[in-house]
Amino acid sequence: MGSRAEILAKIKANKPESLELPNIDPLIFDEGLNLVEEFTKKVEVVGGNVREIKSNVDVISHVKTFFPDSKVNFSTLEKTTDFNTLDLASIKSPQDLEDLDVLILESDLAVAENGAVWVADSQLPFRVLPFITKHLVLVVSKKHIVPYMHQAYQKLNNAPTDFGVFISGPSKTADIEQSLVIGAHGALSLTVFLKS
Amino acid sequence: MSHPQLASIFNKDEKKVNWHDKALWFVRHKRDMSVHHVQGWEELRNLGHGIKAHMLSNLDAYLEEFEANAKKNGVEVHWATNAEEHNQIVHKILKENNAKKVVKSKSMLTEECHLNPYLEADGIEVVDTDLGERIVQLAKEPPSHIVLPAIHKNKHEVDELFQEHLGTKPCDGDPQYLTGEARKHLRQKFIEADAAITGVNFAIAETGGFVVCTNEGNADMGAHIAPIHIACMGVEKIIPKLEHLGVFLRLLARSATGQPVTTYSSHFKKPKADKKMHIVIVDNGRSEQLSRPDFRASLHCIRCGACMNTCPIYRRSGGHSYDATIPGPIGSILSPGKDLSKHSSLPFASTLCGSCSDVCPVKIDIHAQLYKWRQIITKNTPQPFIKKKSMQMMGNIFAKPKKFEKIGKIARWSLRNLPKSLINSKPNAWGKARDLPEGPKQSFDEWYNERKQNKNS
Repeated sequence: MGSRAEILAKIKANKPESLELPNIDPLIFDEGLNLVEEFTKKVEVVGGNVREIKSNVDVISHVKTFFPDSKVNFSTLEKTTDFNTLDLASIKSPQDLEDLDVLILESDLAVAENGAVWVADSQLPFRVLPFITKHLVLVVSKKHIVPYMHQAYQKLNNAPTDFGVFISGPSKTADIEQSLVIGAHGALSLTVFLKS
Repeated sequence: MSHPQLASIFNKDEKKVNWHDKALWFVRHKRDMSVHHVQGWEELRNLGHGIKAHMLSNLDAYLEEFEANAKKNGVEVHWATNAEEHNQIVHKILKENNAKKVVKSKSMLTEECHLNPYLEADGIEVVDTDLGERIVQLAKEPPSHIVLPAIHKNKHEVDELFQEHLGTKPCDGDPQYLTGEARKHLRQKFIEADAAITGVNFAIAETGGFVVCTNEGNADMGAHIAPIHIACMGVEKIIPKLEHLGVFLRLLARSATGQPVTTYSSHFKKPKADKKMHIVIVDNGRSEQLSRPDFRASLHCIRCGACMNTCPIYRRSGGHSYDATIPGPIGSILSPGKDLSKHSSLPFASTLCGSCSDVCPVKIDIHAQLYKWRQIITKNTPQPFIKKKSMQMMGNIFAKPKKFEKIGKIARWSLRNLPKSLINSKPNAWGKARDLPEGPKQSFDEWYNERKQNKNS
């Protein structure tokens, strides 16, 4: 008997009688959040910044003032090709993205309760982009903020993706004597632009 | 060595113990502040418990569903009955791909299987990339906590380690500087890696995908750069549906560190066209634990570490005193199922206060299971003579009210009148490093009866 069959047979023999799967009722968690307010608060709690803007054009001008010295930039927003200094066609492997300073991505899902923004594969020519960049900028419409993770997964159920990640704040660690340090292996800073 | 013996080694440095105790209690406090803001938190815990219990009762079917979907996604699925087979599978994958340099993000399972030494024996470099894990790897120690692997080290020790191994400058333990240097050092490892190994927090049967949670971004830096990604998971990591992540991701980080969610919750499903993804599904004693009705709920664990942070024994004895991959209360109910005699002192490393069960996000009855393990261990492993005799004596006293009353009177009188040298003498374990209270004049019984009489008159 192979290991697969052995493991499955043992589990089948040892498992308890079938128990019912509980049903999730998202309404019991609902406290009528002000979505923009709560989302902004939570992003700040986890070490990120939030700016409200009118359109994508504002993003670039803001980013240029935030990161005046950035050399290698990449954005997937429409009409921002002037901003891009990175030619993706010349990138052969993820390793070549090591010098990326600023990355701007758009998202259509954010979660108020924890400040998380969903970044899906379709946005990512290379999956390592949002992690390897020094500074990460995410753009999301206010109307795309949902209150809790339950609503987020209702949305994701209808939008399957090969890879996706919830990002809440910049990378961080407290592994040395519990002192919080922003900037571990992923992005050193996170800015979220909320579009009205 | 037993838990009390190892704990007494940790207790030699009183200042360090006090720091350790306070640091972990602070994490527990952050957990409280975070969960008290969640409406319906108890309901959320019930859901976590219910979903896991349901999963275990249908685990074989969900594993098959997960495997079928993962294969459809282009992922190769492997099965390992034990640690040895797990290590062989990972080794074989690396060999076939001529991988010499491996980066690994946190995975308690690979710790449990002792994967690193197995691979290193064949000249493969394995670098742990979580900062805390890298620190203990450089110190040649196991992690002492599942979420905070280097919590037993102070910043000066890290400073010295980094000077020796990474060539950093002396910095009086500046965490900012040390973290920055670790980032540079590990960035190089990520760029050069031939393969990445990660753990799995949740594997979703309905999609064949899996989720890995980190704050540092190290799992993703590894998995997306290296051409091969190997994810190792215990059989109990399965959850039935994608929507169940809504429950578990809300529970996990809040219970672990008080964060509303981890910085990165990465959902892996299909590999990129030019890359390979492998999943190794490991039993290693889990199906055995499933057969024990009293202990199977220990398989609900989502590895948040809350039971460690709250445990008065763990905080004062340190993770290494448990001499097990998973320390603390949850480890003390998992480990005896693997090796009863080696871990026979662990279920006694508890006051049975129940705080672990109160904070557990998936409502495992940890303290009740600790008690049940004690019953089994006392029957099956030889107990110290003094303990055996004193238990018999106590049993005899408690069974006879008249005798209990008489001996209580003598004990109270002794506590008031005998010299401390006698009361705190060696045979009295309760007098070790602790002053006993002054014996009250009345027993509870006497006090209660007197109160009743006063009320009536």
